[in-house]
Amino acid sequence: MTTSFEWTLPRGTIIRGKWKQGSYRVDRLLGEGANGKVFLVERERERMLYALKIGSDTVDLQSEVNVLQSIARQKQKRSGGGSRTGAFLVDVDDFRGSDGKEHPFYVMRYIKGLTLGDYLVRNGKEWFPVVGFNLLGKLAELHEAGWTFGDLKVENVLVGDYGRPELVDYGGATAFGKGVRQFTEIYDRGYWNAGTRTADASYDLFSFAVLCLQLHESRRLAQLSAGLLPQTRTPDELAKLAATSAALKPFSGWLRKALYGEFANAREAAAAWQQWMHRAGTVPASAPAPRWMKGLFAVSAAVLATTIYWLLRSAP
Amino acid sequence: MKQILLVTDGCSNVGVSPVVAAAQAHAVGITVNVVGVVDQGDIAEFGTAEIEEIARAGGGLSRLTQTRQLSQTVQMLTRKTVVQTIQHAVQRELKHVLGASTIEELPPEKRGEVVRVIDDLSETSRLRVALLIDASASMKPKLHAVEEAIRDLALSLQSRQGGSEIAVFHFPGSAYGEDCKLDLDWTDNISGVHSLFPRLQMRGTTPTGPAILHVIDFYQKGDYGNRKNDETDGMMSDYVV
Ligand SMILES: Nc1ncnc2c1ncn2[C@@H]1O[C@H](COP(=O)(O)OP(=O)(O)OP(=O)(O)O)[C@@H](O)[C@H]1O
Repeated sequence: MTTSFEWTLPRGTIIRGKWKQGSYRVDRLLGEGANGKVFLVERERERMLYALKIGSDTVDLQSEVNVLQSIARQKQKRSGGGSRTGAFLVDVDDFRGSDGKEHPFYVMRYIKGLTLGDYLVRNGKEWFPVVGFNLLGKLAELHEAGWTFGDLKVENVLVGDYGRPELVDYGGATAFGKGVRQFTEIYDRGYWNAGTRTADASYDLFSFAVLCLQLHESRRLAQLSAGLLPQTRTPDELAKLAATSAALKPFSGWLRKALYGEFANAREAAAAWQQWMHRAGTVPASAPAPRWMKGLFAVSAAVLATTIYWLLRSAP
Repeated sequence: MKQILLVTDGCSNVGVSPVVAAAQAHAVGITVNVVGVVDQGDIAEFGTAEIEEIARAGGGLSRLTQTRQLSQTVQMLTRKTVVQTIQHAVQRELKHVLGASTIEELPPEKRGEVVRVIDDLSETSRLRVALLIDASASMKPKLHAVEEAIRDLALSLQSRQGGSEIAVFHFPGSAYGEDCKLDLDWTDNISGVHSLFPRLQMRGTTPTGPAILHVIDFYQKGDYGNRKNDETDGMMSDYVV
């Protein structure tokens, strides 16, 4: 990729903006992706922590900034000014690196948290229903501003204390009605022959359903997608997987609707989720399975393994 | 906007140089992108150099990729080229309008406006992509991945706001001495098409250059009579008042 760059910014480096002279001290690398690198930085004098994303393609990065600005404007309009949490996007500028080239960057609120997968490993799967509910709320807010998130996946959800999720990486965010350009195959409605890539609320809800499968049945999901031919990838297959997952049992009806695009919007989906969430809470999910059930499981696991073996063998 | 996307795994070995052919395409307003499919590092260094040169002559981009990344690579190249074509057109206009010659020279606030225009036009302008598939013997095991990538590209293009069409060719053709064969004429929907490459007879030669010329011809026949079709000229005029 022409957009990736090899150098890194050591701890202590000062990044000073060329246009507005905002000045940030690098603490450490938070993550990186196709469009650039994200660093934890401290704004000089103010001593506040921020996340700074630096790239090498001005148009790509600016396009992300435009999305963030536009979402902020639309949210502000809806809430009649004065946002609760303060601006997400803080600064946009250019920085001349040690290689002598100028790199565009933007500064955003630092989201302290773990990626969704890590969060559930650390704090327990019982947090899943409430984090899911909060995440649907986030999506609903975004949709009401006219945007699809697009690239919803486990890595792009950071969860803070008490299961409060935040979305990161708006590189896939797309205005309703336009084509989603940045997505991850396994989460993509098009990949599963379940619809177009035109941005709408159901596009994200579909990815949300896959995200649930990814969290609870990642092995079976990977095997499923590897074992199917492009034409035989269907939402049915995902719905079947959901229906046979012990962990997802309470949500399998919900997942079905999300996979088939049957929710009118994310608010409706969140309301339905809430109903199931309470029911899921009353089922002792971690009760030890009776012996006969374990035996049954061993049998079906063996059957599954054989099926997969044959699937893989017969795949072209 | 017109693109040719060449998918190949090796070197051309007959007819006019593909670099010359790509330069001709570029000269008549068609951008040439090249994807090299490498699975077991089976592309010779010479092949890699040729792929890069074809793209450079054709004003486009080139990438090497493994079969399983083919869909993503095809879409990334197509999209990047759309943005780049528009960016160049916008850049031309920038000079008169804003007195800056590159987007990077603009301060971030003004940049935002210009990039919004670029994004808008990338989404809404009309796009044609002719896929040109190397079907020489060594590509045979890769053809179903190629077909999947084409279907996936079609789906993404269908989801754009602007009209988009694809056409598919393979080379060499099956008949003796045939450089290139049309498999699918311009269409915006291939979900009804059962198989793109039915009963292909794989042959040894790789007439990449002649095949590119063939596709240029095809484009020009289609354009005959509707000359006023250069969407990238003066497209800023809608925006800049
Ligand atoms: N505001 C933030 N606060 C904390 N961490 C962040 C923040 N933004 C990004 N990160 C971290 O940096 C990583 C990379 O950021 P991001 O996903 O935006 O980059 P990208 O280049 O767009 O990646 P991708 O290839 O996934 O699109 C994220 O996965 C996340 O872990």
